[in-house]
Amino acid sequence: MFVTEMMKTDLVAITPETSLAEAKELMEKGNFRHLPVVDADGKLVGIVTDRDMRDAHPSSLLDEESYQKTLDKVLKHTIGEIMTAEPITVAPYYTLQDTLLIIGKKKVGALPVVDEEGYLKGIMSTRDLLRAFVNIMGIEEPGTLLCILVDEQPGQLKKIVDIAAEENVSLGSVLVARDWDKEKRAIFPYLLTNNVISIKKKLLALGYELLDPMQWYLDQSPKKE
Amino acid sequence: MGTTGFVFDERYLQHQTFNGHPECAERLTAIMDGLAGAGLLDDLVQIAAEPANQRWIETVHNIHYIMKFEEACMWGLPDFEHQDNSICRDSYNTALLAVGGVLKAIDAVMKDEVKNAFCAVRPPGHHAEANQAMGFCYFNNVAIGARYLQQQYSVEKVCIIDFDVHHGNGTQHIFDTDNSVFYYSIHEHPSFAYPGTGREFETGFSTGEGYTKNSPILPGRGDDEYRERLLTDLVPTFKEFGPDAVLLSAGFDAHENDLMSGTNLSTEGYEIINDTIFDLVSSSTGGRVVSVLEGGYDLQILPLLVANHIRKMMAL
Repeated sequence: MFVTEMMKTDLVAITPETSLAEAKELMEKGNFRHLPVVDADGKLVGIVTDRDMRDAHPSSLLDEESYQKTLDKVLKHTIGEIMTAEPITVAPYYTLQDTLLIIGKKKVGALPVVDEEGYLKGIMSTRDLLRAFVNIMGIEEPGTLLCILVDEQPGQLKKIVDIAAEENVSLGSVLVARDWDKEKRAIFPYLLTNNVISIKKKLLALGYELLDPMQWYLDQSPKKE
Repeated sequence: MGTTGFVFDERYLQHQTFNGHPECAERLTAIMDGLAGAGLLDDLVQIAAEPANQRWIETVHNIHYIMKFEEACMWGLPDFEHQDNSICRDSYNTALLAVGGVLKAIDAVMKDEVKNAFCAVRPPGHHAEANQAMGFCYFNNVAIGARYLQQQYSVEKVCIIDFDVHHGNGTQHIFDTDNSVFYYSIHEHPSFAYPGTGREFETGFSTGEGYTKNSPILPGRGDDEYRERLLTDLVPTFKEFGPDAVLLSAGFDAHENDLMSGTNLSTEGYEIINDTIFDLVSSSTGGRVVSVLEGGYDLQILPLLVANHIRKMMAL
């Protein structure tokens, strides 16, 4: 899945000449945490975050009169003075996995998506990423999560998927926990059905162990001494 | 001790699902055999079911949806909108008769012919949305029952208590902006169980905000958690709402023997549900309640749990 499929494209962009007052209003109105900054041609030149805006604000500990006075001054400044120039960006051909890793590594809240010429194409925020993963996990569709413990050897998932196919059941997602236990993996198929009885029976007949997720939770929790 | 009405009709067996489908006609046969074996049938007042008039179905379901379901059955299609929703040519008429059975039970209670009533009907209803069949459900029996109580008997405030192990998404969504119907559901946690809704933060919208209450139970948990959540979540909210009528979505699939779910409610645990609910019913509507069968798929345990549930109703 590429970022172009999940990024936000109905963009509100500002220029370095935009006043802080204007930017503040745009952010509050659209409930944005990031605003991309572009030049007159639409090429990305920076990004401004709600944190940059807060840093530029006078201290909330000031008395009301001096706060207002300083605020009036601050809001006349331009975005060019506080924006992060040359921010970290991604290209449209980047995958969801890429952005997940970059966001984690660089500790940023949003990544502008720019093409080879530097034009802004969209923005991918952590919120967009979360939405993408809700979609990938299929958890907004009705279904049932099974928790299956299998031996660490090839071909296990196939047997599980075969059983689901035999029962004419679609898969919403399959998550695999790799470091479960020595020589064991835990497989979590999210089945888009209410009808799990015959699938469970077939899995048990093949010798798979159906995990009690709460038992696992209790085993993993720190023990009270 | 009041009289308890009972709805069953041989025609409920005519909704045939595919071979091996858990929501099968044998569920009702098992319940009837169980009730007969327990000697309960003779003490129940039989209420005859009739197909519901379509205008009552339309109080909840979109007319195009109703027609689409009727057509799917007429064409002899194997399922409707999802492979879970197995159908046959008689499914539409059976679903009308299930709603009709509930409406007849409501009539009997409202006309004081009986104190309360249990409806052994199928197909079940609580997953059915206004315009979508889900989870073996086509028409939302209790939701239509609530509208019927309000429109036919001018009942103002209806409380629906749903103890099927699955969240009643249909019922919740049908009433989520409605402050005249309070929906309470206790069910297996939606991260693990079908249909993936019924989290604690789902509490209704706009005018219906605060008129939905969900108690998700984590898998592996049982009697203690049910007791705790019923006492802290259901009892105070029920009393605050102060319903004029109570309907139950009675599912018996949270039992430890029922493979459909991961919760471990014991047979005694079901008595906690029965006692808590019927105490509330007894002090609010004088024991008047209509209980409607939803799930319950273990053919050995289902009849026993239904018999215990009915016994408690007869004692009201």
